[in-house]
Amino acid sequence: MYTETFLIAAALYAAGFSIPLIWWSRDLRAVRTLSLSCTILASLLLGLVSVAVLVSGNVITFMIYRPLAEISFGFSIDRLSGFFLLVIAAVSAPVALYASEYYEHLEGGSRRNLLAGCTNLFILAMVLVVASADMLGFFFFWELMAAASFLLVMYEYDNPGTRKAGLFYFIMTQLSTMFVLFGIIALSFRAGSFRFSGVAVPADPVVLAAFLSLFLGFSIKAGIIPFHKWLPYAHPASPTPVSALMSGLMLKIAVYGLVRFLLDVFAPDLWWGILILLAGVISAVLGVIYALKEHDIKGMLAYSSIENIGIIFMGIGLFVIFSAESLPLLAGISLLAALFHSLNHALFKSLLFLTAGSVVHATHTRDIEHMGGLACHMPVTSALFFTGSVAIAALPPLNGFASELLLFIAIFTSITVVDPLLKVLFLVCLALFALTSALAAACFVKAFGSVFLALPRSPESAGAKEVPRMMLAGPVLLALACIVLGLGAYQLFVLAGISVPLPDMMLVGLLLAVMAALTWTALYFTASRAERISETWGCGVHLQEPSAEYTGHGFSEPLDIIFSSIYRTRIRNERVFFDQKNSIFREGTAEIRLMKVFEEYLYLPAARFSLASATRIARFQNGCLDTYLLYVFITVIAVMVFLGWS
Amino acid sequence: MIDTALVQGIIRILLVCIIITAAYIISTRNLLSLVSMYSLQSVTLVCLALALWVLESSPVLLAIAAVSLVSKAIVIPYFIATIQEKIRIRRDIEFHFLSPTTSLLFSMALMLVVYTVLSHILRDIPARDNLFFFGAVIGISLMLMGMMVMLSRKRAITKVLGFLSMENGVLLFGMFVTELPFIIEFLIIIDLIILVLLTTILTVGIDSTLEDYHKRLHRFRLVGGTEERP
Repeated sequence: MYTETFLIAAALYAAGFSIPLIWWSRDLRAVRTLSLSCTILASLLLGLVSVAVLVSGNVITFMIYRPLAEISFGFSIDRLSGFFLLVIAAVSAPVALYASEYYEHLEGGSRRNLLAGCTNLFILAMVLVVASADMLGFFFFWELMAAASFLLVMYEYDNPGTRKAGLFYFIMTQLSTMFVLFGIIALSFRAGSFRFSGVAVPADPVVLAAFLSLFLGFSIKAGIIPFHKWLPYAHPASPTPVSALMSGLMLKIAVYGLVRFLLDVFAPDLWWGILILLAGVISAVLGVIYALKEHDIKGMLAYSSIENIGIIFMGIGLFVIFSAESLPLLAGISLLAALFHSLNHALFKSLLFLTAGSVVHATHTRDIEHMGGLACHMPVTSALFFTGSVAIAALPPLNGFASELLLFIAIFTSITVVDPLLKVLFLVCLALFALTSALAAACFVKAFGSVFLALPRSPESAGAKEVPRMMLAGPVLLALACIVLGLGAYQLFVLAGISVPLPDMMLVGLLLAVMAALTWTALYFTASRAERISETWGCGVHLQEPSAEYTGHGFSEPLDIIFSSIYRTRIRNERVFFDQKNSIFREGTAEIRLMKVFEEYLYLPAARFSLASATRIARFQNGCLDTYLLYVFITVIAVMVFLGWS
Repeated sequence: MIDTALVQGIIRILLVCIIITAAYIISTRNLLSLVSMYSLQSVTLVCLALALWVLESSPVLLAIAAVSLVSKAIVIPYFIATIQEKIRIRRDIEFHFLSPTTSLLFSMALMLVVYTVLSHILRDIPARDNLFFFGAVIGISLMLMGMMVMLSRKRAITKVLGFLSMENGVLLFGMFVTELPFIIEFLIIIDLIILVLLTTILTVGIDSTLEDYHKRLHRFRLVGGTEERP
């Protein structure tokens, strides 16, 4: 029965994709609404299936197409797949709800039909990646997902910024696909088939190459530093629901791939775990440090995604390390923390992206320095953004706190068990992780403060209005999910039959509520209510100018100074003179800008190198018949010699 | 009945003759002797097929001999001679990558390589006798030498001759080792005739005037310098 439900859900997504294609030239709201309703319905069905699988532990397996004995396209949904299907279902339904209104406010006429259709295709591809029973299907749908997401990113293709972002994203995502393909081919050489079956020897160079290749592919897709650069380009450029889906779900699909291969295929070594852990820690710390400096609200959320993916990778790395050290209990907790954080991040990141999209929709700018004072104009949106911020800053009692706490507990407990060198590593990671959490909190205090509080800093911000109801309904669902998962974390784990060393968050929440109530009461009764009229130095708020208020830049300035060695500003100054001796100044430009370290030292040299080698190789094609004949001649002789010697 | 040993001796001599013609084709700069050398090579090939027929008495060999004689020794050389008469190039002095002397030396080395490689590849196959192995080596060498002619000469007309000599190599190899089906052999020859016809039409033209075809010659780079204009 679950098989049929799953198939119906997939068919609904497919219908959601094809309906707008049929009427692609008709600019009708009904078409888009129908398409997105299909998404919501399919997500509900998918959620049912995944919950059933998660609770019962049954594995749903069925074959679709089998052209050869070794090559087959089938689906298999076990608890891991079921969990990620739940993540997809939980995020895509609210996002579709939001998109049904948001897409109507976009420009582009009937192109919006394609946008709605491709959104469905994208979700369908992700569902099928997760449900695939073998590596070939996994790869096929992985590429479909990449293609669909590229089309979505390129929606506003007439904007040069979007074109640049799209190109960047396309190259990075194809690199990722290429590495995944290498890994899968290497594994199929070793295992003899494309099934997710174990290859036991980690020391085998082919298996090692397969792991490194897959790790690289998944890291690029997940946005692990230093392969992260596509995120801050692609997220701001794409329409909001697409950013929410990409950040909330697509990055998790990469996490799913890594976990799937680590669990089912490889028998990991200790140093694999250390590699994953270090990649995670570096991404977490650098991601949040860059997020602090970012003033594009969607760009900041993109960097924050990098940070959270780093935290998830830390959990996976710890899982591998503990497995290799044969500490199954700790390994279980770490993996659980990573997976739980995946779910939580999917929820609160899509919530934040959607509300940020509402803010951008209302103010027509993405720069948080031009916002401010929106709490009065958009009270519901600001409350929703606040919920997301509290969750992502890992403050109790919301869900971000629960999952990060699990990870902290895993590291704390392990310090007494593992050998000294690992202990040092763990302590360093623990310190950096704690720093990450603190900086994330600072980052979202800054974001919330400069977007919603104080006075409006631009006329658009002053004239902003609350968004339509549908654009509130989706985020409300996500915020409720964040609260429920936070407060009921312990109970949910008990329900799933897993015992975790988490405190009862309900109790924590209650304590916090009581504390808040007591504080409020105490302040209410003790505060003086006398009216003061102030002048002279204007420290009261009456005469204050918006431009004189505390800005986002101002808030992050101390942190900028602390981390200035990481940010690396570049000062450029060019002067032109009237005379030869450079004494009579004519004109000049000066610029202080943040250096894009990874772009300038990693991406551009890599691009230049590949361009140079391509030019060198292109010389072989010189258009002269004789040269081509020479190639054929040399090849024939080489083949002959090869046959003779082998 | 003719003595087998005598026929085998004759075959060996003919194979050496073929090598000599190939060496001449690769090294000469005189275009007129190039085409007669090609027809000589084809005639040698015909004789070779006849000698093999004496040895094996397979009717296919007779058919091959007949077809080769008509097409390669008469029809194709006739067309090429027509072209040469029209375009009035007597000498071929432009080369790519390899000069005639180098290509001669190179082809010697090539024959050695082919010999070593083939003796390695065919070591497990019970060769019927040494003669067939020898034929196979000469066949492949002839093919590669024809290719060398194609890549080292700049004129289209010599390229065509190189291609034709390459095909002779294939035919030789087929006669000695694999025994190509006659129908395929026949089809290849028809292809060759069409190729040569096309070259003729391209260079000379069906109904073009003198000025016209010179323009065309320049367009297809069949003649290089201006001194060859009439």
